[in-house]
Amino acid sequence: MTRALPTPTTSHHARGSGLEQWVERHLRILMLAPAMIVLLALTIFPSAYMLIAAVTRISPNPDLPWEFAGYQNFARLLTDQQFHIGLRNTLVFTVAAVTIEFLLGLGLALLLDRYVRKLNLLKTLLMLPMMLPPVAVAITWKLIYEPQFGVLNEIMFNLGLPPQAWAGDARLAMLSVIIADVWQWTPFMFLLMLAGLASLPIEPYEAAAIDGASAWRQFRDLTLPFLKPVIAIALLLRIMDALRLFDLVFILTGGGPADRTKTLSLYIYQVAYRFADQSYAAAISLFVLFATVAFSTWFIRRMRLAD
Amino acid sequence: MLRSRTAAITQRLAAYCGIAIALLVTLFPVYWIASNSFKYDIDIFAVPPEWYPVNPTLKHYRAAFIERPFLQYALNSLIIAVSTTAVSVVLGTLAGYALARFQYPGRWRHQISFWILSTRMMPPIVTIIPLYLAFNHLNMLNTKMAVVIAYTAFNLPFATWMMKSYFRDLPVELEEAAMVDGDTRFGAFLRVALPLARPGLAATSIFCLIISWNEFLLALILTLTDRSQTLPIGIAGRVTQYHTYWGEISAAGFFACIPIMIFAFIVQKHLVRGLSFGAVKG
Amino acid sequence: MVRRPFLAMAFALWSLAAIQPAWADITVLVPSGSEGDGLRAAAADYAKLKGSKVEIVQAPYNNVFEQAANAGQSKSGAFDIVLMDDPWIPFFAENGHLEDLTPYFQKAGKAGPDDDFLSKSLALCRNPYNSGPYICLPYVGNAQMFFYDAAKFKDAGVEEPKTWDDVLKAAKALTDKGGGRYFGYVFRGGQGNPVVADFMPLFWSYGANLFNEDRSKVTIDTPEGAAAMKMFMALRDVSPKGVESYNANEVGQALAAGTAASSINWPNWVATFEDPTQSRMVGKISYTGIPAGTKPGSSEIGHWTMGIMAAAKNKQEAFDFMQWATSPEQIKVSAERGNPPVRTSTFTDPELTKQEKFRHYPVLMNAIQASTPRPRHPKWPEIENAFGIELSKAVAGTQTPEEALKNAQAAVEKIAGTK
Repeated sequence: MTRALPTPTTSHHARGSGLEQWVERHLRILMLAPAMIVLLALTIFPSAYMLIAAVTRISPNPDLPWEFAGYQNFARLLTDQQFHIGLRNTLVFTVAAVTIEFLLGLGLALLLDRYVRKLNLLKTLLMLPMMLPPVAVAITWKLIYEPQFGVLNEIMFNLGLPPQAWAGDARLAMLSVIIADVWQWTPFMFLLMLAGLASLPIEPYEAAAIDGASAWRQFRDLTLPFLKPVIAIALLLRIMDALRLFDLVFILTGGGPADRTKTLSLYIYQVAYRFADQSYAAAISLFVLFATVAFSTWFIRRMRLAD
Repeated sequence: MLRSRTAAITQRLAAYCGIAIALLVTLFPVYWIASNSFKYDIDIFAVPPEWYPVNPTLKHYRAAFIERPFLQYALNSLIIAVSTTAVSVVLGTLAGYALARFQYPGRWRHQISFWILSTRMMPPIVTIIPLYLAFNHLNMLNTKMAVVIAYTAFNLPFATWMMKSYFRDLPVELEEAAMVDGDTRFGAFLRVALPLARPGLAATSIFCLIISWNEFLLALILTLTDRSQTLPIGIAGRVTQYHTYWGEISAAGFFACIPIMIFAFIVQKHLVRGLSFGAVKG
Repeated sequence: MVRRPFLAMAFALWSLAAIQPAWADITVLVPSGSEGDGLRAAAADYAKLKGSKVEIVQAPYNNVFEQAANAGQSKSGAFDIVLMDDPWIPFFAENGHLEDLTPYFQKAGKAGPDDDFLSKSLALCRNPYNSGPYICLPYVGNAQMFFYDAAKFKDAGVEEPKTWDDVLKAAKALTDKGGGRYFGYVFRGGQGNPVVADFMPLFWSYGANLFNEDRSKVTIDTPEGAAAMKMFMALRDVSPKGVESYNANEVGQALAAGTAASSINWPNWVATFEDPTQSRMVGKISYTGIPAGTKPGSSEIGHWTMGIMAAAKNKQEAFDFMQWATSPEQIKVSAERGNPPVRTSTFTDPELTKQEKFRHYPVLMNAIQASTPRPRHPKWPEIENAFGIELSKAVAGTQTPEEALKNAQAAVEKIAGTK
């Protein structure tokens, strides 16, 4: 699918002062450098700190020296049940939330693309949830889920369904978190899919229509392959964010009940700040970082996103 | 013929129903925030719930914006979000263009792109500790500048990727034509590519704005007083040890989405066109 | 076209640079909420009186400990004074984040804080508990009280809940009659701090404790612990569904809305119950001390105390401010602003006690005097988290109460390093 780019010309037309020519000659690095320098400056110190912290033992007492701990912090990952629970919850959440968001977003985009002419107002309205601060979203859903006064149970009651404790029920807590996240981030998927659909070429569809291909076949054989790059990047962006879910669980459930919604980010936060164990927090973070990078590399290669 | 027409109409009706349900589900919680912000506390907890504010009050708006410094928080958020967006979009556009248009030896284009994206995969929770230490050392804790710098770290990769794919999607011939007419390479970027990339700029800006306007975790650690605290921190502060001030939270939360909504509405015509993913057109 | 974004960037950088960090004599870290608001008002008074600028740093309650620990660990002079929840004191004291106040008292020609402070409040402020040097001063005097709807309890045949058995009897009758819309008891079941806070008073009233006297043994999985757990589970069964996620706010709200008849909660709720814009139960909620189990009832003490950071920039000024803010006059002003006092003179001040909104003062003072502190352990935040997880699992029913005690015992032993 990747289109070969026309050869960018190194300009032979540069005229004017020496400076201008110099700029012209080094334009590539000059345009790239500011962003790279900023990113390097902002990541090199944190990364170095994280690496050092992960192989030492940092006491909460600032007067004690840092002790070298070797691989001990990483060894703890193998036996720490809370870490395993956090990892499992994070994976369950990511897979479920991103899948649902993707399917709903795609479905909605297809409907709107096909049946609605004047998209503008509708589109802005449907985008609303992702513009709200996640903190306010979490608090609002807490209110909606409230078992005694909450509006969701009232709706359930009116529909003749049994009321539930939602975020307060160990079996439903993760589902509640997923619903709130799906509500907030489906618009993101929807918007990206809509953008993808808007740039579809018309001719193949005309040809397919003449051949009498069904709507489903058109979708499977034309729309999906054309959308693949958009889908891939949308999934990648959402997965990266879902893997570090924090605000929502921090406020909605605090990781409970019974540890059912404790995500890795929440656990890292607790370890680093509540238990003041920066070293172990760094070890967990490194694990998360490597896992994310490994997954993204595989995913990007698989989806042929890069040139 | 008639039957297929009926089928088409049924299909259309079903589609409209689907869209209506989506709209309802999307808007109801937003309506609920807005509606609660005008209710007395006691009515927020009415059983059965009050579907609209029966006794409307501006109490919570007064409490949040007059008695408490939520206006200051909003101003801080605005300065921080606009600055972050400006820095990220400008630098991201330059880098994105360079990645899209220039030649690189070997797989360097891919390597650099991936490295830029990978900086966004750092779990922010632990980068905060070193950032906190660094800002503390530089005497920059509790300044908006510190927050902008931290936010740039995760907005810039996103902006770079978005702009890179947008530029790749623009035909290179126009820039070549400009250069044949005697413009420089950079001049062609400024005068030809950039104006064409306007929808991409709009879409990138709105995403950066949303992310930095709503960010919570970094601001939680890096800001301390009203001088630099942002809206999400102010909102979280109304969940206190004993009480959760639902009314004030709703008022502030509803207020928080208004500026972004206005901006989104202004740039919305660019939004769908601005999200482009290079190879889409095949 | 291009000029605009560049201009925007220039403007943004200018507006950032233009705002320099302001200067202050003393910086105080407080939780946002009534304690923070009270101290903010006090700081404004102090500025007017003494001409010193006291800056108040507010963090959400869930983040105060983290902010203070960050500052302590990085030796940042960001705060001069921190307002601490009392169970955090051992962590800060034993990790060298706090200043010993002894030399400051000596310089002021005093042996220590005066004895108008409640003895239980002062005991908290010494590390080790009640014997070591003073490292902070009490400011807000919280201890749990038992809130109940007296009329409903009377209907259910309980005049005044003196024991947990009374509570259970009344609560069971009320819940059975409530048809799923009204409940006899409600508690904080949220994982972490909330569930621990509402379990501890039960735990103590059955004679159990987390540690033995000298902290050398964990004593959770004991017959006393089992008795407390049994009552806790019985109370859970008569509480509304969803308490697994409740915190103080939800519990208070259930009483204020008239959907539950009794609970443990903080005195801060007294004012809310009497405010008609926030409560349907104005004048109907009574309060008393924590009911007894096999031993006399004991509430959990939850004081907010002020300490000086070891890395503070202006320690003497900070001490002077603390002395002023905890003086009898100022504690009274603070009480009028809605924060429970820590001094006998304020608790018994007729000007206050004759007012309706302070009628709980005698009960509260007794509650503080009969309170128990959470275990004084530098790893308390971690212990509380581990204990909270096991309790949460028991409340949610994903493990049996027996397993919860066994697992909590093992988890706390591991953290505390005892065997």
